[in-house]
Amino acid sequence: MALDDYLTELDRLSAAAAEAFAAAEDVDALEAARIEYLGAKSGQLKSVQKQLGSVDRADKPAAGKRFNETKTGIETAFAEAQARVSAGASRKTARAPFDFTLPGKRPRLGHLHPLTQTIEELKEIMGRLGFTVATGPEIEDEWHNFEALNIPASHPARDPLENFYLSTAGAATGAPLLLRSQTSTVQIRVMEATKPPVRVISLGRVYRPDTADATHYPMFHQIEGLLVDRHVTMADLKSVLRLFASSFLGQDVHIRFRPSFFPFTEPSVEVDMSWHDTKQGDAIRWIEMGGAGMVDPHVLEAVGYDPEEFTGFAFGIGVERICARRHGVRDIRDFYRNDVRFLHQF
Amino acid sequence: MIVSWDWLQQYVALDMTPDELAERVMMAGLNHEETRAVGDDLAIELEVTSNRPDCLGHLGVAREISVLWDVSLRVPAAAPKESKVAVEDLATIRVDNPRECPRYTARVIRNVRIGSSPAWLVRRLATIGVASINNVVDVTNYVMLECGQPLHAFDLAHLADRQIVVRQATKGEEFLAINHKSYTLDPTVCVIADARRAVGLGGVMGGADTEVSEGTTELLIESAAFDPMSIRNTARALNLHSDSSYRFERALDPQGVDWASRRCCELILELAGGELAAGVLDTGELPDTRQPITLRFKQLKRVLGIDVPPDTARQILVALGNEPLRDSGSDAIEVLPPTWRSDLAREIDLVEEVARIHGYDKIPEDVGVPMVESHRTEADRVLAKVRSVLTAAGFDEAMTASAVEQPWSAAFSPWTDAEPLQSNIPVLRRADQLRRSLVPSLLGSRQINEAVSNPTIELFEIAHVYLPRIGELPCEELMIALASGGDYFAMKGVIEGLLAALDPGTTLEARPTGQALLDADRASELWIRGSDGKDELLGYLGEVGGKGLEQFDLRSPATVAEIRFGALAGIAVMIPQCGEIPSHPAVARDLNLVVDEAVRWADVERTVREAAGPEAESIEFQDVYRDQKRLGAGKKSLLFTLTLRRADRTLTGEEADQVRDRVVEACAKSHRAQLRA
Repeated sequence: MALDDYLTELDRLSAAAAEAFAAAEDVDALEAARIEYLGAKSGQLKSVQKQLGSVDRADKPAAGKRFNETKTGIETAFAEAQARVSAGASRKTARAPFDFTLPGKRPRLGHLHPLTQTIEELKEIMGRLGFTVATGPEIEDEWHNFEALNIPASHPARDPLENFYLSTAGAATGAPLLLRSQTSTVQIRVMEATKPPVRVISLGRVYRPDTADATHYPMFHQIEGLLVDRHVTMADLKSVLRLFASSFLGQDVHIRFRPSFFPFTEPSVEVDMSWHDTKQGDAIRWIEMGGAGMVDPHVLEAVGYDPEEFTGFAFGIGVERICARRHGVRDIRDFYRNDVRFLHQF
Repeated sequence: MIVSWDWLQQYVALDMTPDELAERVMMAGLNHEETRAVGDDLAIELEVTSNRPDCLGHLGVAREISVLWDVSLRVPAAAPKESKVAVEDLATIRVDNPRECPRYTARVIRNVRIGSSPAWLVRRLATIGVASINNVVDVTNYVMLECGQPLHAFDLAHLADRQIVVRQATKGEEFLAINHKSYTLDPTVCVIADARRAVGLGGVMGGADTEVSEGTTELLIESAAFDPMSIRNTARALNLHSDSSYRFERALDPQGVDWASRRCCELILELAGGELAAGVLDTGELPDTRQPITLRFKQLKRVLGIDVPPDTARQILVALGNEPLRDSGSDAIEVLPPTWRSDLAREIDLVEEVARIHGYDKIPEDVGVPMVESHRTEADRVLAKVRSVLTAAGFDEAMTASAVEQPWSAAFSPWTDAEPLQSNIPVLRRADQLRRSLVPSLLGSRQINEAVSNPTIELFEIAHVYLPRIGELPCEELMIALASGGDYFAMKGVIEGLLAALDPGTTLEARPTGQALLDADRASELWIRGSDGKDELLGYLGEVGGKGLEQFDLRSPATVAEIRFGALAGIAVMIPQCGEIPSHPAVARDLNLVVDEAVRWADVERTVREAAGPEAESIEFQDVYRDQKRLGAGKKSLLFTLTLRRADRTLTGEEADQVRDRVVEACAKSHRAQLRA
C-alpha cells in the first residue's frame, strides 16, 4: 500500500470520527460512535492499524508516526465529546426552550406603615440635630395635660366635650384622667425629671374628639421638639426648624413664622416652610408645618426651672398631615383601615 | 371674623392693596383665610385666635392696621344727645347673679320709628354676611361688628313692670328665643328676665316676646358683661351658638360696655329718631385689674435672638395702646396695657407684641445651634430590629385605634381581668373602651381585607395596651400583635425567628392556655427564659377558634399572637459578640423514634439534649409520622437530626454512633421510645 493512500485513509478516519463524536447528543449515541471508531475489536481505527502492516517497509516509520498522531487526535475528540455529553446529560434529555422572561420567585416582603416610616425619618433627622427621643403615657392627669402647660380650668381647651376623659379613672386614683390631647405632656414629664439643658423629641398618639372624615381623625400622631438651655432664642428655633425641614424635604427650605396663640408658648407662632413645587413649574409654596414658640415662663416655673436663667423653644408637628402630603394620601382614615393594598404602596 | 374693606376705611386710611393688607395682617397675627368680592365691597376673612377678642370688631382690626402702617386711628366719639327725662323714671334693672353677670347697663330711647336701614348700613352688614332686619336691630349688630361688644335692644313696652332682672333660670323654665325655638332651662343658665319671665338668654340670644318689631316705639338697650365660662356652658348645653355668645366666651374689653351702649344709641337716634333718656342704668363699672408691666429691653434679644432698638419697641407698645408709666431710657419701659388687651399681663407678652409687629421675618434662620450628642433609645433599636424581622417574614404593619367597642374588648384580654378603662365619649363610633389587647383590632383589620378579597393578609401592630391599676396611672404596656392566615406553626416559626434575631441563645417554651378566643388545642402561652434566669411570660399564640372567627365575621382561618415588647427588649442582645467558629466538621445522625401520641416533642428534645451531652450541636426536628398499621394505634414517630461536633478534633463515625445509642436508650427509658429501623 502506498504511503499516500494510507495517509489519506488516516485523514478521512480522523475527520469522520470527529464528526461522529460531535454529532452525538447523548451518552448512547456517543457510545455507538465510540464502538464504530475506537472499538477494540472491529473499530475503524483498529482496522486502519491492521493496514499498517501492508505499507511499504521503508514508509513504515512515517506511517506509524502519523497513525499514532491520528489515534491521539481521535481519542482527544472522544474525551471532549464525552465531557460535553455527560455535563449536559440532564439538559440534553429534555431540551425544552428556556423562557428567561418568566417572573422570578419573589419572597413576600411586608411593608412598614407609612406613618411609621415618616415618624422614623423625622426621629432620625432630629437625632442628627441632637434631640433624643423621650416617651410618656397616653393616659394623663390634668396636671401634665393642662395645668403645667399653662392651660387653666377656665380655658376652652379643657371642656369635657373637647377631651376624652376616662369615666372609671376617678374611682381608681381620685383624680380625673384623660387621653392626652398633645404630646407636650411628655415635655413636662422630662423637665420635671431632669435639669436643663434638655433637648428631646416626644412623639406618639394623641386624641381629640373630632368626627372622622378625610382630614380629621379622633386619634393622630404628633412629634414635638423641646430645647431648654441658657441663651436659647427664637433664632435658634427658626434655624433648627430650617435644618429639620431641609433635611426632610431634601432641598433648601425657608421658614416663615406667623404669630399664633398656644397657652404653653409665648411668643407663639405657626410655622410655614417654603417648598419648591416641581409639579407646578417649580413655584415656591408656603406649607403649614406646625406650631411652635418659646416655652412660656409659666411652664418653666411649673417644672421648677427659673425663667430668668433658662429659655427654651418647643414645636409640634402633626405626623398624619405631613405623611399624607408626602405620599399623596387623600383620606387620612386610610391610615387606620389597614387595607394591605394601601399598605403595600409605601 | 369677616371685615369689610369699605367699613375699615371709616377708621383708618387704606393706602395699600387688599392683598398687601391681607399679607401684612396675617404676618402680624390675623391669619388670612380668604378675600371675596361682595357687591362693590370686599369681605376679608381673618382668623382671630382666642386670645385676641379685641379683633372681633372692625375697630380692633383697624387698630392693628394703624400700628402696622403707622397711620392714625379714628375712633367715633359715641356721644349721643340725651333728653331731659331721666332713665330711672322709665325702667329699672336688678342683677341677682353678679358672678355670671358682673356688669349690666341699660339705656332707654323713646319714640323711635322702626323702619328699614339705609343702604350703606345694609351693604356693610351684607359684606359680613348679616341680613338686615330693621334699623334698630341692624344698629345693634353693626355696633357689635364695630367694637366687638354684643348688644341687645328690647321692646320696652313688652317688658313687664318695665323692669330687667338678671338671674339664673328656674328649673324647667321655658324660653322662646328670637329664632322661634323653645328652650327648657335649668339653674345653670343666666337669663335676662322682666318682672314675670325670661326675656333673653344672657349674652346668647334675645327672646321672641320682647324683640323689636314694626310697632315698637320704646327701646331698652342692653350692654353688659357676662362670665365667659357661664356663656360657654349655656351655649353648649342648649347647642345655641351666636355671634354674641362667641364673643362673650372670650375676655371682652370691660371698658367697652358703656362705649358700645352710647355708640348704639347714637346710631339709633340718627337712623330711627326718638329721644334718649338721660343717664344710664348701670350696676357699676368693673374693677380695673390691670397691672403695670415692665419690659426690660434686653429681654427682646434674650428671647428673640435679634436686636430690636428700644425706640422701636417703645413706639410699637404705645401705638398698640399701652400707656407708658415709667421710661428708663434704653433699659426698660413700664406700661399699663389697654383695657381691651387682657392677654397682656407679663413681660413676655410685651416681647411677643414687639416681635409680631416688628416682624418675625427679621429673625434669622441660620444661626449656629450648638451640637450635642444624642442617642437612639434602646427601645427604638430593638423596635427597628423587630420591624425588620416581621416585614422580612411578610407581615405588613397596621395601625388601629386605641379604643374598641365592648364586644371586641371582651373577646380577648389575656393580660388583665380588670374592667377596661372607658372614655366618657366614644373615640370612634361605639368604641369607648381602651383596649387591653391589640388582637381584636387586628382581626377587625383582617375582616376589612377579607371583605375586599385581598388574598394574603398578614398584619402586625406595635402599640400600647391599657391595663388599669389601682391608685396610679394605668399600665401602658407596649405589645406586638400579629394576625395571619398561616397556621399555629407558621406563626410560631415567625416568633422563633424574631427571638433568634434578638438573642440566638433564647429558648421558647410553649405551655397550655385557656383563652376562649383561641382554638382549645392549637394555642399556647409562650414563655422565655429572661436575662435574670427566671421564666418570663412572652405572650400568647393560637389559631382563632370557630366562635372567634364568627364573632369577627371571618371566612378563612386566622392565627393570632400577642407578645410583650418588654420581654423581648429584656433579652435582646444589641451588640452581639464574636464567638469561636469550630473548624472540624460535624457528624449528623438521623433518628426516628416511635412514641405514644401523648409524648411531647419538647420533652423528647430535652432528653436527647441531656443524653447527647456537650457534643450535641443541634437537635433539629424534621417531621412527625403516623401510620396505624406500621406503628400501631396511638403511636407516632418523631424524625429528627442530631448534629454532633467537637471543637478540638473530628468526631469518628463510631463515636457518633455511640452518642446516638445513648440517646436512643435515654429516650426508651424516659419516653418508652423505640428506634424505628
